[in-house]
Amino acid sequence: MAVELYFFQPLGTNSGRVFLALLEKGVPFLERELDGLAFAHLRPEYLAINPRGQVPTLVHDGRALTEGAPICEYIDEAFGGPPLRPAALDERWNMRRWCRYLDVDLGRALMMIHWNRIVPAFVGARSREEVQSIIARVPDLDRRRAWRRAYLQETTPEELAESRRRIEAGSKRIEQALARTPWLAGRTFSLADIDLLSFYAFLAKWSPESVNARATPRTMDWIGRMEERPAVCELRVRSRVPPRPPILERAAAAARG
Amino acid sequence: MLDLFHAEPTGDSARVLIVLEEKALEFHGHYVDVLAFEQYRPPLVELAPGAEIPVLIRDGVASTGASAVCELLEEAFPERPLMPTGARERWCVRVWQKHVDDLVASAVTELAWQAYGKRSLPPPARAELEASLERIVPAEERPRWLAALAGYGEEQLARAHARVEETVVKVEAALAGSEWLAGPMFSLADVAVFAYFNYLPALGSARLSESEAPRALAWLRAIAERPAVRTALARGRAADPFTTATPAPEQIRWG
Repeated sequence: MAVELYFFQPLGTNSGRVFLALLEKGVPFLERELDGLAFAHLRPEYLAINPRGQVPTLVHDGRALTEGAPICEYIDEAFGGPPLRPAALDERWNMRRWCRYLDVDLGRALMMIHWNRIVPAFVGARSREEVQSIIARVPDLDRRRAWRRAYLQETTPEELAESRRRIEAGSKRIEQALARTPWLAGRTFSLADIDLLSFYAFLAKWSPESVNARATPRTMDWIGRMEERPAVCELRVRSRVPPRPPILERAAAAARG
Repeated sequence: MLDLFHAEPTGDSARVLIVLEEKALEFHGHYVDVLAFEQYRPPLVELAPGAEIPVLIRDGVASTGASAVCELLEEAFPERPLMPTGARERWCVRVWQKHVDDLVASAVTELAWQAYGKRSLPPPARAELEASLERIVPAEERPRWLAALAGYGEEQLARAHARVEETVVKVEAALAGSEWLAGPMFSLADVAVFAYFNYLPALGSARLSESEAPRALAWLRAIAERPAVRTALARGRAADPFTTATPAPEQIRWG
């Protein structure tokens, strides 16, 4: 039966991980691209399948599934293809801990900085009244608050500094994990690596000093191995924009030798 | 061999205790007095450097994070299952667990701390805790303690109430379609939501009433009466653990 994925172009962190999980698993799917700049995710027809107005949504056999991390485990359980979760139970626990950490700690620190930088330009030439009426339609109260704070540039310097601290700490934590094992959660490639890939473009963009050959050589090696994977190459081709950040270009070139 | 370091059997500690009891697993329980900062001292500070409670020790390996620990127990001990077999139902359980981790845990704990914090931490204990905060608590954990000691602001508590009421509506809607939250079987989803929702009858929730949420109330009572749940909830020091509270976990920092 048909599989459809609703996502943003360019691929964001939550859309990107589900997109990549489907490609790694070899599941054919229809791309349902939403125009984020036009706030297509707040239109009634999308809210009917995802009441929180968030991406991604996976539709399988006509029924919608939401929430990135649970969707990724669903993809691993519902479809054939190579497993995306380790067989060893301790590694599987570790994978889930990494996915959660990337989602709610490191991911949100990156998101806070990213949104505060891009939202004022993102809304374009719309009037303040128009933007505020769009924001008022965001269903989730915390997400609505984040939009409003980024648009009005209300985030405090202390909050942004705390996010930068978490990004630096996160980069070190990732490097330490990859010094112990070849993949983030252990000896096997897993959903934790898939999640980290979607964050890496943002880490490299907003904190290049935290991720480089000198500070994080294991991470650079991991990026090189990830960028060689056929599914990741396919993701890069299909996502078209943004172009691969320079750090990923260099890592990929190094991996090709 | 299983060991569990747990606090009063509410919230995340209750979730793992209930799963252990539902699966009739033998384990050694170790009570952790969070308000005495035991999570920042040996042996816990070495076992779980993030100071998260509860901590499961399985064959000498420590695991934290209630959702991940519950799934680990399910995978290690599949008898007396608490996860459905269908992929869609399993997805549903994980969405409930995530909703609890993301929103319900902080919202309910903030309201519980506001109601019971003073009782849980009488003035002499509070003065002692304040005096030792800088010495014992890692710098990145201190803002969470200072916020709780100062008392949560009106805006934060209003948000917590809104999240709770929204979740009551979700629970009531889910129970209109099936006996349990994720389908016909009692699962980790019910355990996760119950472990926080059991605070609500005493704390007060506008929507958790016989007229607006009869199914949710009946569901809550049915879980509280399960023998395994009763055993789990008796593992604390307080006569009623749901009249005690500790500072809330951090809210997600960016929506």
